[in-house]
Amino acid sequence: MSVLAHYFESAGFATVLVGFVREHIEAIKPARALWLDFPMGRPMGKPNDPEYQLKVIRAAFELFDAPSGPVLVDFPDVIPVKDGRMGYALPPELVLSTDEIGDVDALLAEVQAEIEGLRSAYEAAVAARGRTTVGASELAVEGLAPHIAAFVKGDKPKSPRKGLSPIPALKLVIEDLTAYYTEARTHRDGIDDIELLGKWFWEETKAGQLILWLEAVSLESEDKVLRQIVDMSLVTPRFWSEGPLPGTSGSGW
Amino acid sequence: MVRMTEMPAVGRGFISRLEMPELKHPAWTQPVPAQERRVAIVSTAAVSRRGEKPFSWLARDYRVIPKGERDLVMTHVAVEYDRTAWQQDLNAIIPLDRLDEMAQDGEIGSVANEHYAFMGAADPRDMEKSALEVAERMTQEDVNTVFLIPV
Repeated sequence: MSVLAHYFESAGFATVLVGFVREHIEAIKPARALWLDFPMGRPMGKPNDPEYQLKVIRAAFELFDAPSGPVLVDFPDVIPVKDGRMGYALPPELVLSTDEIGDVDALLAEVQAEIEGLRSAYEAAVAARGRTTVGASELAVEGLAPHIAAFVKGDKPKSPRKGLSPIPALKLVIEDLTAYYTEARTHRDGIDDIELLGKWFWEETKAGQLILWLEAVSLESEDKVLRQIVDMSLVTPRFWSEGPLPGTSGSGW
Repeated sequence: MVRMTEMPAVGRGFISRLEMPELKHPAWTQPVPAQERRVAIVSTAAVSRRGEKPFSWLARDYRVIPKGERDLVMTHVAVEYDRTAWQQDLNAIIPLDRLDEMAQDGEIGSVANEHYAFMGAADPRDMEKSALEVAERMTQEDVNTVFLIPV
């Protein structure tokens, strides 16, 4: 982000950035930067809070008044995250092995029932918000869990997206499934709590369990790319917990 | 909390090992007065219009987000950050409605017709060519101010 700011400033644009990693801003020295002590994924602080979002933007734009730079200012508010993380992270002990994988079809049926149970909440969320973030994979919602389950069984279904190979597409399928659940839950229950939503999806839902099974299978997969995405913690949110998954190279750490 | 000194050891190690590009001369462009600002957002959230090509994991290219577009999907490679805020409100990551309100109230001059998204996980040193293309597009529509927002 700071480097992009440098490119645009050099091209004759006045730039200001908001940023999360203060040390990077200090090192790269973009012209104007506002450091945010917020959870990552929330650069404007809070969803559906126009006043708060304006407060962040105005604090950033005030930096245009500085006569010279580089300027780095700390936004005065802190939005805390548990245990110094950047967002929700799975408990380190919650790592499954293939020995713990049961009947995939039975779990898939439970996930599909869960999806049906959330459908009215999801549809209400889409109607209320006028948009959904589900759909990057281009699979229909009812096709998401079966696609993941096929990988758990050791199959490698075709990518649902033309021009995209199966494993990157699988990641989008996982994102879509997760988004379906959290879009439904945030709307239905009016909650905006990163820890609560993460714990619910990853530790309590059958969909989360299915993805944890996928992670366990991927750890032992002969498919190099599938192993790589768990090595690099690109399947489940483990990045800010205590270390790489047992059995991985930890190349992403 | 994302001061490296207070991060868990693993995250701190990863962030601190990222190579930092050396920029010889800090750039500086004098801003125009607030009421003359035409503002474009540059986001590194790897969002794009539904149906567009997804970002690759280390993408160096960019996508154009038209000002009125709200039907966006995210194809960022990382999974450790919160997605629920932008699911609820696009303005939590790309505050187009807020900028529009500021323009209507005269706090800024206007909001650009085009905004831009990059993949934040990629090395920004590989993005210079794309950034210069974006700069050219912004020049074409008289943008003079850029608001950069990570995710």
